[in-house]
Amino acid sequence: MSCPVDDREGAERIVSYGAGRLAPDEETEFELHRRGCARCRELAAAQRAIWSTLDEWPDVTPSESFDEILYQRIAAIEQRAWWRRLLPDAGWWRPAVPVAVACAALVAAFLLKGPDLNLQSPVAAEPKLQIEQVEHALDDMEMLKQLSIDSQPNHPSGQN
Amino acid sequence: MNPDGIRTQAPQPSWNTRVNNSVASLAAPQGDAELMLRVRGGDQASFGLLLERHRGSVIRFLDRMVQSQAVAEELAQEVFLRVYKSRGTYEPAAKFTTWLFRIATHLGLNWIRDGRNEKGQESLDETTAEGTIKQVPDRVRTVEQELVYQAKLREVRQAIESLPAKQRAAVLMHKYEEMEYSEIANVLRCSESAVKSLLFRAYEHLRSRLAHLA
Repeated sequence: MSCPVDDREGAERIVSYGAGRLAPDEETEFELHRRGCARCRELAAAQRAIWSTLDEWPDVTPSESFDEILYQRIAAIEQRAWWRRLLPDAGWWRPAVPVAVACAALVAAFLLKGPDLNLQSPVAAEPKLQIEQVEHALDDMEMLKQLSIDSQPNHPSGQN
Repeated sequence: MNPDGIRTQAPQPSWNTRVNNSVASLAAPQGDAELMLRVRGGDQASFGLLLERHRGSVIRFLDRMVQSQAVAEELAQEVFLRVYKSRGTYEPAAKFTTWLFRIATHLGLNWIRDGRNEKGQESLDETTAEGTIKQVPDRVRTVEQELVYQAKLREVRQAIESLPAKQRAAVLMHKYEEMEYSEIANVLRCSESAVKSLLFRAYEHLRSRLAHLA
């Protein structure tokens, strides 16, 4: 085998050897190489030493309340309003909420206070008024004309 | 007591009681992915079982990563909350532990990156959030041996802390969680050869830094 120290790709063999994680045939092969290679002997011994030194760091024991706190937090999530649960947690939609509310308010205001589409606009009503006025005026003139005829004295020739 | 040495919680009419009661009723051991699929289907007991299985390793990994048990537990809470929140979209495409450690590593690296690790080195007799004394290994030592041990431990912790964050995560997964190169590569989202390179450089640094202790 090529020397792991020279072979960058094979360097992990020393790490794996130090961790005792080489496959049996790989370990045998490396042991054979190590006997004749001072650099690999030194490096493998140093790696094994560091491996056992790191063992000195003990595992921490999780605190007793860990689960309880976690379950309380989960319960709080579960109790959120149903409509919030329907929406994803990513929050990308959140900025859209005030915009949607503003739009809804505008629509509502338009519907409540906007122009009554059932009423005719003054522009449309104006010609009808003018026709009526003209008719009234014509009627008045006709009536005045009638009155003036009725109030005239009889022709003198009629007195005969 | 569970395998992590945590006492069973007192019964309460809450979420955890339902989980604890149902966990006991789960019979045959099941795979993590299968349990997670059950969680997706609304089975709270399966979540409790996953928590029981992986709580210890996640907290231990984060504790070594951020070097503070309180912070590690806070981050581990966030890890399991994210797992719970993601249950609806979970697909067993990758190994469950790969996914779990990916979340844990992400949170740990972010915490380190954000510079929130400006804290004093915890001493071993520091009280935890529970007010209990941290336990040192249960070998009986003389006072002198204890002092030597604590000095050695402090150096190991400092050496690990001096590693770049990604190398630190790789070493912790390789050494303490006994993960394969391929799994570490999946967690860190890099190639296997990149992981080998990371580990080789990290151990090289540790060998030079801790040579006098060996």
